[in-house]
Amino acid sequence: MIRLEKRAQPLRFKGVVAASWALAITAVLGCLIFAGLGVDPLTAYAAMGKGVFSSFDAFSEVLVKATPLIFTGLAVATAAVMMLWNIGAEGQLVWGGIGAAGAALFLFPGLPAWLLVPLALAASALGGMAWALIAAVLKARLRVNEILTTLLLNYVAIIYMEHLFYGPWRDPAGFGFPGTAQVPEAAQLLRFASTRISIGFPLALLCAVFLYYLLNKSIWGYQVRVIGKEPRAAHYAGFNVTGKILTVMALSGAFAGIAGMVEVCGIHYRLQTGLAAGYGYDGIIVAWLAGLNPLVVPFTAMLLGALFVGGEQLQSVLGLPSTISLILEGTLLFGLFAGQTLAGYTLTISGRSGEAR
Amino acid sequence: MAEPVISLRRLSKRFGQVWANRDVDLDLSPGRVHALLGENGAGKSTLMSILAGRYAADSGSVLMHGKAVSFNSPAQALDHGIGMVYQRFMLIESMSVFENLALSAGKTSGARNLARGIERIASQYGIAVDPDRSVFELSMGERQRVEILKLLMLDAEVLIFDEPTSVLTPPEVESLFAVIERLRGEGKTIVLITHKLEEVLKLADDISIMRRGRIVVSEPIGARRMSRQQLARLMVGRDVVLRVDKKNVPVGETVLALQGFSGDSPLGGPAFADVSLEIRKGEIFSIIGVAGNGQAGLVSAIAGLTRARSGTLTFGGTAYSAREWVGARTGKIAYVPEDRHHTGSIGAMSIAENFGLTRLDSYRSGVAGMLLDRARMTADGTRAIGAHDIKTQSSGDRAGSLSGGNLQKVILARELTRDAQLFIAEQPTQGLDIAATEHIWNALLKCRERAAVLLVTGDLKEVLSLSDRIGVIFNGRILEIIDACDSDQVNRVGLLMAGVVS
Repeated sequence: MIRLEKRAQPLRFKGVVAASWALAITAVLGCLIFAGLGVDPLTAYAAMGKGVFSSFDAFSEVLVKATPLIFTGLAVATAAVMMLWNIGAEGQLVWGGIGAAGAALFLFPGLPAWLLVPLALAASALGGMAWALIAAVLKARLRVNEILTTLLLNYVAIIYMEHLFYGPWRDPAGFGFPGTAQVPEAAQLLRFASTRISIGFPLALLCAVFLYYLLNKSIWGYQVRVIGKEPRAAHYAGFNVTGKILTVMALSGAFAGIAGMVEVCGIHYRLQTGLAAGYGYDGIIVAWLAGLNPLVVPFTAMLLGALFVGGEQLQSVLGLPSTISLILEGTLLFGLFAGQTLAGYTLTISGRSGEAR
Repeated sequence: MAEPVISLRRLSKRFGQVWANRDVDLDLSPGRVHALLGENGAGKSTLMSILAGRYAADSGSVLMHGKAVSFNSPAQALDHGIGMVYQRFMLIESMSVFENLALSAGKTSGARNLARGIERIASQYGIAVDPDRSVFELSMGERQRVEILKLLMLDAEVLIFDEPTSVLTPPEVESLFAVIERLRGEGKTIVLITHKLEEVLKLADDISIMRRGRIVVSEPIGARRMSRQQLARLMVGRDVVLRVDKKNVPVGETVLALQGFSGDSPLGGPAFADVSLEIRKGEIFSIIGVAGNGQAGLVSAIAGLTRARSGTLTFGGTAYSAREWVGARTGKIAYVPEDRHHTGSIGAMSIAENFGLTRLDSYRSGVAGMLLDRARMTADGTRAIGAHDIKTQSSGDRAGSLSGGNLQKVILARELTRDAQLFIAEQPTQGLDIAATEHIWNALLKCRERAAVLLVTGDLKEVLSLSDRIGVIFNGRILEIIDACDSDQVNRVGLLMAGVVS
C-alpha cells in the first residue's frame, strides 16, 4: 500500500523538494492544458524549448525578462522574510520608473553617463522606497494590513504614471502617442553585444548576493529573520519591530524601484504603457519558488523568463492564445502551493508486515 | 478485575529512524486509573495518540472489548468512546465555553437541550464551569475542565489525560484529582500520562512504565508496593535522587525593589496590583501562584517587556517610574520565559543562532558593529552543548528539533552567559523530565551565588526545594511573603495559593 505520511522532521532541503514538486505538477497540468487546446503536449513543449534555446539571441531574451523579475523577486522576498506581504512591487516598480525618467529627462538631463545613470538609479530606488513606505507607515503605526494597502497602491501608481505620460510629461514631438520623450543617451544602460541584456542583469545578480549577506551576516538581517519566524521571541528579546517594518519595506520598495529603472533606461528608454507589465506580481512567484532564498531568486526568475519567452513561441508557432504563458504561470503558482504541502509528507510503501520502508 | 476495555497488542510506531513505540502490549480496565509513566520521549504520548486516533500505528492492533478496531481520526476514536485531554488544549479561545461544547457536540437537538446536558454532566461529575464565559478568560484549570466536559458530552468511556497537572497548581490539581476519582467511580477508564511520581502513588490503580518506546513494567500498583525511588529507577533506568545541593550563600545588596507596582496583563487576563517586594543578591525569591493570577503580567513588566501602570521599580540602586522602566531596561536582566518554544527560542533557527536572541550585542562585529559574528555564536553554542549536556549533534542543528528539556537547557545556557544581576526564571521545569529538572534546579541555585534570582512557578515542590523567600500571588496581589526556613508558615503556601488567608 502506498500512502502519504506526514514527516516527523522537516526535510533538510524542503525548498528544493517543494520546487521540484511545483515544476513536476506544472509540467503535468501543462500537458492537460495543451491537450485541452488540441495541441500535442510534446510538440508544445518542444516548441517552447526551441524558442528558448534555439539561438543565443533567443536565450538572451530570457535574461532580459529575468532582470526585472530578479529585482521584484528580491523585493517580495525581502518583505516576506519578515512575513510582510508586499503585493505592491508593481506600483513600486512604476514609481521607480517615474523616478528614473524624471531624473533623466527633467532633473539632470545634461549630465554625463557616469553621473546620470547612478542618479537615475538612486531616484528609482527612492521612488520605490517612498511608495512602499506609505504602506509600511500605515502598518507600523496603525496596524493596517499591508496586503491591502500595497495592492491598492499599485493602481494609484499606475494611474499616476499614465497621468504623467498622457499629460505633463508627454513627449511634445511624439505625434500624440502616450509616453514621455526618450531619455538622453547618457541615461540609456549599456547593452551586451547585440542583445537587449543591459548591465541591469549583473546588477540584479549583485543585489541578490547583497541581500543574501545582509539577511544572513548582519545584525539587522538576524533581527528581521527572528521577527519573521517568531514575533514573540523578537518582542521578548526587545527588538524594534516597528523600525524593522519601515526599513524592510523601504529596502523591498527600493529593489522594486530599481526594476522600474532597469526597464525604463534599459529596455523602453521612456515611460510608457508597457512598463506595468505585471513583473511586480510575477515577483511573488519568483520569491516563493525560490523559497525566499535570495541566491535562488535569479534562477527562478530565469525559469519564469523562459516560460514567458517559450510562451510567445507557442503563440507564433502553434497559434495558441497569447494568454497561454499566463495560464502556465498560474499553474506554476498552484504547483508551488501543492509542492510546499507535499514536501511536508513522505511517500511510504508498506507491506503487510508494516515493517517495509 | 473486570475484563479489559482496551487491549493493545504488539503496537509499533516509527518516526523516521526512531521507534517511538515498539511491540507495546497494554490492557486498560474499566473503573480504574492507569498511570503511564516514563521520561520525556519514552513514547507515552505517541502510544496514547495512536489509541486516540491521532496517529496510525505502523503495526499491531487495538482491541476493544476483545474486538479489533482501527481509527483514522480522533473523531472515529471518539465514536468508539475514546477521548484524550491533550497538554495543549484544543479550544477556540475567542468563543465561549458553551460554543466550544456545541461545536464538538455537532448535531444537537437545540441550544436549550445542550445547555441542560452540560449542566447535568457538570453536576454529575462535579465539574464547575460557567458556560457563558469566553475561553480566553479562563484559567488553565478551567480550560481543562472544559476539555473533560467535551469528552463526557460525547459519552467517552476511556479518557486519556496527557500530563494533566503540568499547567495546574495545587488547588487545581486537587480538584482535577477529585474529578478523576469521580470518573473512576462511574466506571470510566482513565489513563494518566505523567512523569510525576506523587500523582501516580496518589491516584493510580495500575501502573505501566515506558522506557525508550517499550513497556518495562505493567502491573497493579499494590503488587509490589513500590516506593518513589523504585519507580524513578524503573523510569530512568538508573538511580535518581531528586536532591539539590543548596549551599548557604550570603545575602547581598538589594538588586530589585518594587513599590506599589501595578499593571495590566499582556494577554488581557487578570492584572496585578500594588506589588511591593525586594529581591537581593544571593537569594532565590519565588513567586508562586495558580496560573492566571497576574504573575504573567507582573513578570513581563519586571522584565521591561510591557509597561506597568503605576508604582516604582528600583534596580541596582536607581529608581525608575513604571513609565521609564520600559525604555531603561538594561542588559542586566536575564530571563527564561515560560513559553520556551515560541518566545524563548526560534525553532526554525540553529542552536548557535538562538544564542543571538538576547545577546545580540555581544556578537556585533565589522563596521559600526553591523555584522554578525557567526563564528563566536557557533563557539558559544558548542560550548553550551558540552557544559549542559545538551543532547544533539552540533550547534548547527535546529532548536526546534530538540526535546523540551534540551531546548530549555539551551535557553538557560544563553541566559546564564549574560552575566545578569537579576535572573528571572518563569515555570522553568514545566513538563520536563527528572534529569532535566535536576539540572535546571542546580543551575538556578548556582546562579544565586552571583545574582538575585526571581523564580515564578506554580510547582510547590520546586518552590520548596529552591526558594529562600516565597511570595504567594493570588488575584493579582502578593498575599504574603514567607521565609522558606519557617516550616510552620511554609505549610500555608498551598492554602494561600487558593486565596485562603487565615
